[in-house]
Amino acid sequence: MTRLWRLMAATLLVTLAAAGARAQAPQAKDALHALYEKAKAEKEVTLWAPAAIEGSWVPAQFEKRFPGIDVKFTPDLQGATKIIAEARAGRHTVDAWSFSIGGMLEVQKRGLLQAEDWSRFGIAKANTFFDGQAAATHNFIYTSIYSKAAVKPADLPKTWSDFLDPKWKGKLVAQAFLLPRLMGFLALEWGEERTEQWGRALIDDQKTLIVNTPSESYLKSGERIFTVGESIPQVYQYRADGVDVGYVTLDLVPAGQFAISVVKDAPHPNAALLLAAWLASDEGRALYDSIVHEVDIRPGSNSTYAKEVAAAKAKIILEDVSNVAQRAKYYEEFSKLVRGQH
Amino acid sequence: MSAIRGLPARSPAGKGFRLFPKPSGRIGLAGGLILGAGIFAAIYLISAPLGMLLVAAFRGPKDLLPFEPGSEWTFANFAAVYLDRDLYRIIIPNTLVFVAGAVALGFVTAFALAWLVERTDLPGRNAIFTIVLFPLLIPGVVVAIAWIFLLGPHAGWVNVAIRGLAGLSGDGPLNIFSMGGMILAQGVALVPFIFLLLSAVLRSMNPVLEEASQVSGASPLTTFLRVTLPVLRPGILAPLILAVLVALEQFEIPLVIGLPARINIFSTRIYYELNPDTNLPAYGRAAAVALPFLVAGMLLLLVYNRLIRHAERYVTVTGKNFRPARLPLGRWRGPALALVAVYIGFAVLLPLLVLVWTSLFGYEAPSLAVLASARLDAYRNLFADGGFWLALRNTFWVAGASAAIVTAVGAILGWTVLRTRLWGRAALDFLSFVSIGIPSVIAGLAALLLYLSLPVGLYGTVWVLVLAYSYRLAIATRSTRAALAQLHRELEEAADVAGASWLASMRRVVLPLLAPALVGNFVLLFIVGFREFTLPVILQSPDNTVLSVVLWSLFVSNKSADAAALGTLIVLCVVPVIVLARRTLLGRGEV
Repeated sequence: MTRLWRLMAATLLVTLAAAGARAQAPQAKDALHALYEKAKAEKEVTLWAPAAIEGSWVPAQFEKRFPGIDVKFTPDLQGATKIIAEARAGRHTVDAWSFSIGGMLEVQKRGLLQAEDWSRFGIAKANTFFDGQAAATHNFIYTSIYSKAAVKPADLPKTWSDFLDPKWKGKLVAQAFLLPRLMGFLALEWGEERTEQWGRALIDDQKTLIVNTPSESYLKSGERIFTVGESIPQVYQYRADGVDVGYVTLDLVPAGQFAISVVKDAPHPNAALLLAAWLASDEGRALYDSIVHEVDIRPGSNSTYAKEVAAAKAKIILEDVSNVAQRAKYYEEFSKLVRGQH
Repeated sequence: MSAIRGLPARSPAGKGFRLFPKPSGRIGLAGGLILGAGIFAAIYLISAPLGMLLVAAFRGPKDLLPFEPGSEWTFANFAAVYLDRDLYRIIIPNTLVFVAGAVALGFVTAFALAWLVERTDLPGRNAIFTIVLFPLLIPGVVVAIAWIFLLGPHAGWVNVAIRGLAGLSGDGPLNIFSMGGMILAQGVALVPFIFLLLSAVLRSMNPVLEEASQVSGASPLTTFLRVTLPVLRPGILAPLILAVLVALEQFEIPLVIGLPARINIFSTRIYYELNPDTNLPAYGRAAAVALPFLVAGMLLLLVYNRLIRHAERYVTVTGKNFRPARLPLGRWRGPALALVAVYIGFAVLLPLLVLVWTSLFGYEAPSLAVLASARLDAYRNLFADGGFWLALRNTFWVAGASAAIVTAVGAILGWTVLRTRLWGRAALDFLSFVSIGIPSVIAGLAALLLYLSLPVGLYGTVWVLVLAYSYRLAIATRSTRAALAQLHRELEEAADVAGASWLASMRRVVLPLLAPALVGNFVLLFIVGFREFTLPVILQSPDNTVLSVVLWSLFVSNKSADAAALGTLIVLCVVPVIVLARRTLLGRGEV
């Protein structure tokens, strides 16, 4: 009986939440429309993100949705340094900034991000960070990519530990930037010692090739057949480039968290908020997924990949404000290991 | 005649060659203004990044930028860098082996090529000159990847061929991911840079001394060792010293090839400090690591100055006209052409093939079957993108303007240092030389801070890039000095005696004779500017984006075909510059 009551209560809550969301949707639409009317006068908005994939598609899509406001996009991995330098000099060129929440920390610590009330755009509080200074857009999902021509489906690993099987010796490649970050996530689950042992075995025993360039050429040429710790969008990119690859969903699914912020003293504040709110909305997040395969697997996500992960019964390790510093500490140490610095 | 006999020419110093510190001398007001402007520009262009480097090295803690409130003066950066045992155990030994090996390989190859092109009757010299410079146009990352395609231990084309021929199994036998592989790739990459500088020196050399040696019965080897090399000493020392410093600063090949080999050197250490895994770039530590570059530069400058203290000993171009004679290669023509062909095959054709192939076929392995699937989509993507056309325009403008500024300022500085007794000229010489020891990332940060703070509206424009690119005066100053060391003062004195003003003497006597060196400088700097990546990345805005930034962005976004297409277009853009420079300014029927 208790179980039945619980089930009924849960159903009622879900129904109420859905009704609330339905009621909220038109309000969010109105808020976005009102903001658009104000932003029109500003005519343009500058967006920075760490790489082209994160934003090169935005200007065209935004123009379709909000005509008359020109998005100027600049990919810049060192955006944090420039925002700090510009603020120090009293000059402000960037309006909205998209980055991983880990990469945002230094800017956020200095109070250079604008706190916003995202709820009026229908964005749940659970999808915001730093007391409203950033809103979630998508996740950076770590996976492993293999050459379909060289790996039989029956041989595919099921866990990250399976890569230590001698059959993979001399056949693996990993990016120096991504491998320590992946290990940072694994350490959250496994602990530092086990993860370090895994990393050392991967490099020293399995002779994994550590590279600083995309691993596509290594898979295509046959120099290596499996990439340890790549991202989902790369799978589609490799395929588009004619490299026949597949990916595996292993026992753990590390997911970095990307977010968008409005920078304090932005030259185009209304257009900046409009762009940020739109990218963080359901509509914006769906575009990240459909255009560049930057998927969202936060709780409640309906993305295809979130369903894949659920079907594989894999455990998601999600980057959040609570674990971002610990993970950063781990991967700083693991980076030295990966680069051969100790 | 003294020069012809190889004896020191009589210095005219003190015979009324009235220059600084007598401003009323024959330089005149216009000349004084030009020299003054050049000297001021040199000080301005170099002092900012140099000052920033020094300040950053002593500012901390590491999670604050050097100028931020809360940062303070500290030795912590030096302690962190120089108390690290791995620096002495791993990084310094690796760096010494890498630099010595790469420079030795690059210099010997470049000298052989330059000598063949400039001093012998090798057929196709014009074409070879242009082709040898090709690798300068190909992005370093592409070159490194091309070497992996060739010598990758498992699937490298050469290894596959050797294993097939020798019936071997497994990996290898060659492995690009090794110190030997790094030296090979970097040595070959240095060749065009050294070649360009050496060509100008060899071209300007009067062959009378060599002819006299041969007439006296000396063998070609004896002539080369006892006449050619000593006469060329200042001219070849400059490229040698620059090559050492350039090899110290290079990080593309050490990163791409050295990382899989797990070989760390100085430049990768700097790179890692500036691209940390957490927090902000550690500019202070990077500057602390970079300071040895400056110390190395100072020591090399001392050596250089000591060796060429009596520059007149090396004068070979006097007021007497000469026409360089070319050494007939005779039966050595075949082996010489084979040497050139091997270099061109490895350093030029292979990377170029990889670039063009990738732009048309992505990462498909080369085969006849694939040829039918060639796609021009990558080029179409670029041409359809307005950002590409803006970047193209910006790149030409920034590379051209900065190359012109540096060539002009370098020439003024070189002349001032060598021909005047201006107080402080040694400091100017030093200042220009140490510019090569300033990592471009530090120069970029300095420019960022400087132009953000100055209320002149340059930040975010192409002008900020022009000024930031223009700090590299070492190459232009050294090269001009080396060329000037071979011009006897009597030429300028003759013009002076004939009543020509300083400006007229420069315009009609000195500049025409310096033209090969100056054009060489301009072309080299233009190419360096065209490929420059670090500075525009730091200073980029939507309005001043250049092609290298677009290329890198495409590359890291894994749009390899688009990146390769852009790389191919960059090559196509710069080739005409080299050909035109060679044909219209350098050749003049002599080649």
